[in-house]
Amino acid sequence: MKKFIFGKLTLDALPHQWFTIGGTVFMFLMVLTAVIILTKYKRWSWLWHDWLTSTDPKKIGTMYVIFATFMFFRGMIDVALIWLQQALAADGEGFLEAGHFQEIFTSHGDIMVFFVTMGYFFGFMNWIIPLQIGARDLSYPFLNSLGFWLTVAGGLLINAFFIIGGHFANTGWLAIAPLSSLEFNPGVGVDYLIWSLQLSGLGSLLAGINFIATIIKKRAPGMTLMRMPLFVWTSLCGMVLIISAFPVLTAVTFMLWLDRFFEMHFFTVSHGGNQMMYFNLIWMWGHPEVYILVLPAFGMYSEIISTFSQKQISNYTSMVWASIIITGLSYLVWLHHFFTMGAGPEVNSFFGIVTMIIAIPSGVLVFNWIQTMLKGKIVFATPMCWSIGFIIIFLLGGMTGVFMASPPADFQVHNSLFLIAHFHAQIIGIALFGVFAGLTYWFPKIMGFTLDEKSGKVAFWLWFVGFYVAFTPLFILGFMGATRRLDTYRAETGWQPFFIIALFGFLIISAGIITQVYQIIVSIRDRKLNRDTTGDPWNGRTLEWATTSPPPAYNFAKIPTVEGIDAFWLIKNKQRLREYEDIELPKNTGMGVYISIFAFLAGFGIVWHIHWLIVLGIIGSVACLIRFSFDEHRDYILPAAKVALLEEAQ
Amino acid sequence: MKTMKLLSLFFALLGITAAILYIFFGEKVQVFQPKGIISKQILDLILFNLALMVAILLPTFIWLLFTVWKYRASHTQSEYKPEKTYGKFNQCILWLLPSCVVFIMALHTWKAAHQLDPYKRMSSPAEELVIQVVAIDWKWLFIYPQQDIACVNFVQFPEKTPIRFELTADGSPMNSFWIPSLSGQIYCMTGMVTPLHLNAEGVGTYTGKAAEINGEGYAKMNFVVISSTENEFDDWVNDVRESHTQLDHQAYAELLKPSIDHPQQFYSSVKKDLFNTIVMKANSPI
Repeated sequence: MKKFIFGKLTLDALPHQWFTIGGTVFMFLMVLTAVIILTKYKRWSWLWHDWLTSTDPKKIGTMYVIFATFMFFRGMIDVALIWLQQALAADGEGFLEAGHFQEIFTSHGDIMVFFVTMGYFFGFMNWIIPLQIGARDLSYPFLNSLGFWLTVAGGLLINAFFIIGGHFANTGWLAIAPLSSLEFNPGVGVDYLIWSLQLSGLGSLLAGINFIATIIKKRAPGMTLMRMPLFVWTSLCGMVLIISAFPVLTAVTFMLWLDRFFEMHFFTVSHGGNQMMYFNLIWMWGHPEVYILVLPAFGMYSEIISTFSQKQISNYTSMVWASIIITGLSYLVWLHHFFTMGAGPEVNSFFGIVTMIIAIPSGVLVFNWIQTMLKGKIVFATPMCWSIGFIIIFLLGGMTGVFMASPPADFQVHNSLFLIAHFHAQIIGIALFGVFAGLTYWFPKIMGFTLDEKSGKVAFWLWFVGFYVAFTPLFILGFMGATRRLDTYRAETGWQPFFIIALFGFLIISAGIITQVYQIIVSIRDRKLNRDTTGDPWNGRTLEWATTSPPPAYNFAKIPTVEGIDAFWLIKNKQRLREYEDIELPKNTGMGVYISIFAFLAGFGIVWHIHWLIVLGIIGSVACLIRFSFDEHRDYILPAAKVALLEEAQ
Repeated sequence: MKTMKLLSLFFALLGITAAILYIFFGEKVQVFQPKGIISKQILDLILFNLALMVAILLPTFIWLLFTVWKYRASHTQSEYKPEKTYGKFNQCILWLLPSCVVFIMALHTWKAAHQLDPYKRMSSPAEELVIQVVAIDWKWLFIYPQQDIACVNFVQFPEKTPIRFELTADGSPMNSFWIPSLSGQIYCMTGMVTPLHLNAEGVGTYTGKAAEINGEGYAKMNFVVISSTENEFDDWVNDVRESHTQLDHQAYAELLKPSIDHPQQFYSSVKKDLFNTIVMKANSPI
C-alpha cells in the first residue's frame, strides 16, 4: 500500500544535504516574496488574465525571456561551483565530493542549453517574428502558450530534485548510456533528467511547428521568401532542425527510460544492448541542436550589423543560401563527436571532411558581415558591440573547431578541456552574445524604452575580456592533457595556476552580469527619459520598427505591403494611411497552464514510480486537450472603431 | 583615457604572447611535447591545420578591425554608400576562397586519417609487443599475453618498439584510454576490442588516463606509463614473475569490485584466456 501511494519516495528524499536545504529554502523564499508582493498590490488577477493565460506572442515572448533569465542565474551558480572546485581541487583539496561535482556540471549543461539559450531564442522569436513578417499573431496561439508552459514544467522538474530526491544525474548533460543505465545509475537523477528533457522537448517541438506554419502562411502581402529578414530565415532553418531532430531526442531518451523502467536492453553493456547506438542517436539530435542554438543568432547579427552600419546587408541571397546549406550539412556531421570510438578511417574522414565543409558557408557569412560594414557608417551602440565581439570570438572558435574536425588531431584533444573551451567559445560567443545583442536591440520595441547604453557597454567589455581570461587557460589545459569533468587532479600536473586564472576570468564575467542587472534597473528607473516615442529608435530597416513601441496587441492596425528586402526602409518616409478595419485576435486561455501542470505531475510520477500519479497526469492532460477542442469561440473581434481610438491615442 | 587604452592593449598582447609561448615551449604541455612517433605525427597535423587556418583567419581578422575602425560613424571622411551592392564576381570569390582552403585540408585529412589510423599495425624492425587492457571501475588492468604477466594501474614497455594495445572494458560504462604524450585516445567498450598502436621514441615516465566520464572514480582513474630500455623491460618482467600473486579467477573477481584510487598491483601469471573470456562474457547468453 505504501509503495502504491508513494512509489520509490521515502523520507530520505527530503532535503538533508547543505545544497538541497539551501536550494529549497531559497526557492521557498522566492515564491513567498512573489506571493506577498502579488497579494499586497492585488495583482493576482492581473497576473492570471494579463500574463499566464495570454496567447499574445509578445507576452509569451516576455515570459520566455524572464524564465530563461531565472534559469541563467541558476546555471551560473553551477558554473561558480565548478570553477571554484577546480581551482581548489589539486590533490583532492576541493570542497565537493566527486558525485556531487558530476551532478553540478550535468545540470549546468542541460539548463544552459535547453532552458537558457533555447528559452531566450524562443522569446525573441515570439517577440519579433510576427512583427518582422507583418503578421498579427502566430498560426496557433494556443499551441504557443502550451509550448511555453511545457518548457516551464520541464524547467521545474529539472530543479525539483532540490526539494525531493537530493540527487541529479551524474552522467554529463547527454545522459550518456551505459553510464546512465540502471546498472550504473540506480537513483532518480537520470529520470529527472530524462523527463525534464521530454517535457521541454515537447514544448520546443510544438513551438517549432508553430513558427514554421507562421513563417510559411502568415507573411504580409508582398513579402516573398526572398524578401524575408534574415532573422526570419535563420529562425526558419532552426525550426526545421527542431522538428526533424527533436523527435530523435524524444525517442532516444524514451528508449533509455524503457531500459531503466522496464529493464529493456537497448543500451546496456550486456544482454544484447548496444552502447554505441546511444552515442549515435543522441548526437544525431545533438549536432543539429548546436545549429538550433546558433542559426537564429546568425540572423540576429545580420540584422544588427546591417542596421548599425546603416547599410543594406551584403549579398542577401548568399546569406540565405549559406544558412540553408549549414542547416542541411548539420545532419551529416554527428559522428565527429566520437571519432575516438574507433570507426575506420573512411567513416571518420567522411564525417571530418563534411565538418570542414561547414566552414565554407560559415566563412561566407563572416565575409559578408564585414562587407556589410565596409563603406557603411558604423554606430557603436551596445548591440553592435556584441556583434563585433561575436565575430572575433567566432573566428577563434572556428579555428579550434577545424582542429577537431581532423580525426587524428581529435584523438589528442577530444574529451579534454580544449573541447570544452572550443564549444563554450561557440555557444557563448555566438548564442549568448546573440542573446545579449538581441535583448539590447529589441528591448525598446517590446518594453517601450531603451536600455542604458553606458552600462551596457561596460558589461560587454567585462564579458569579452572575461571570456578570454576564463577560456584561454582551458585551451592550454587541454593541450596539457587535462580531461573534462575532473573533480580533482594531482598538483604535479601543473594545472592549478591555469584553473585559478580561469576562475579569475569567471569573476570578471560575473562583474559583467552584475553590470547587466544594474543596466536593467537603471533603465527601468529612467524609463520616462529613455522612452521610445518613434517606434524606431535605431533607424531600423525591417517591419518591426514600423509600428509603435510597445506594439499594440494586434501589431499593425493595417497590414503593410512589402516591396523588397528591408521592407520598412523602403516605406519609411511615406505617409501612413489612417483607415482601420476589424481585427480578429485570439482569446486568452488557461489550458496551456493546466495541461502543463498535469504533464509535470505525470513526469514527477514517472521519476518516482508513482503509478496512480502517472495515470492521473496523462488522463488529466488529455482531458484538458479534449475539453479545449470543443471550445469553438477562441477568437474575438476588435472593431475598427476601437482600433481607430487606440491608434489615435498614440 | 588614451593611456588606459594603450595599457589594456599592451596587457592583452602580453597575455596572448605568454599563452602562445607557453603552448609551444611549456614542459608540461604534453600534446606539444610529443614523446612517441604517433603523437609527433599528430602534432605535425595540428600544426599544418593551424598554419592553414591562420593563413585565412589572420587577414580576415585584420580586414575586420580595419573596416570597423575606418567606417565608424565618427570618422566622417570615410566613404558612405548605403545602397552599395556586390556583384556575382564578389560572391564567387567569397565562396571560392574558403572552399580552396577546405579542399586542401580535406585532402590532407583523408591522408592523415588513413596514415594515423590507430588500428593500423606499425612497421618497425623491432618485434611487436601486445598488451591487453581492461577498463574496470575505476582502474586499468594490463595483461601481457606474450610474457604471461599482468599489472594494475601500471604499464611498462620497451622504447622504440611497436606496441599494440587491445582495449576492452568489463562491468564498466564506456571508457577512453589516453596517454597524451604517446598517442591519441580510443574508447574501451564492454564486449568489444579496439586496438591502439603506439611507439615510444625514448625512455620516460608518463601519465595515462581515463578520458570519458564513467562514474564516481573517474578523475582518479590514472595509470603510470614507463617506457624503458629493452634490458630494463626484461628485468622488470622477471621481477614481476617472481611476485607471488597470480591473476586467477578469484583475484579477478576481487578486482572487479569498484574501487577508487586503486594501488598498483602485479601478477606473476594470468589465467589462460582471461582476456577472451572477459570480452565474450557480455556476448554470451545469460
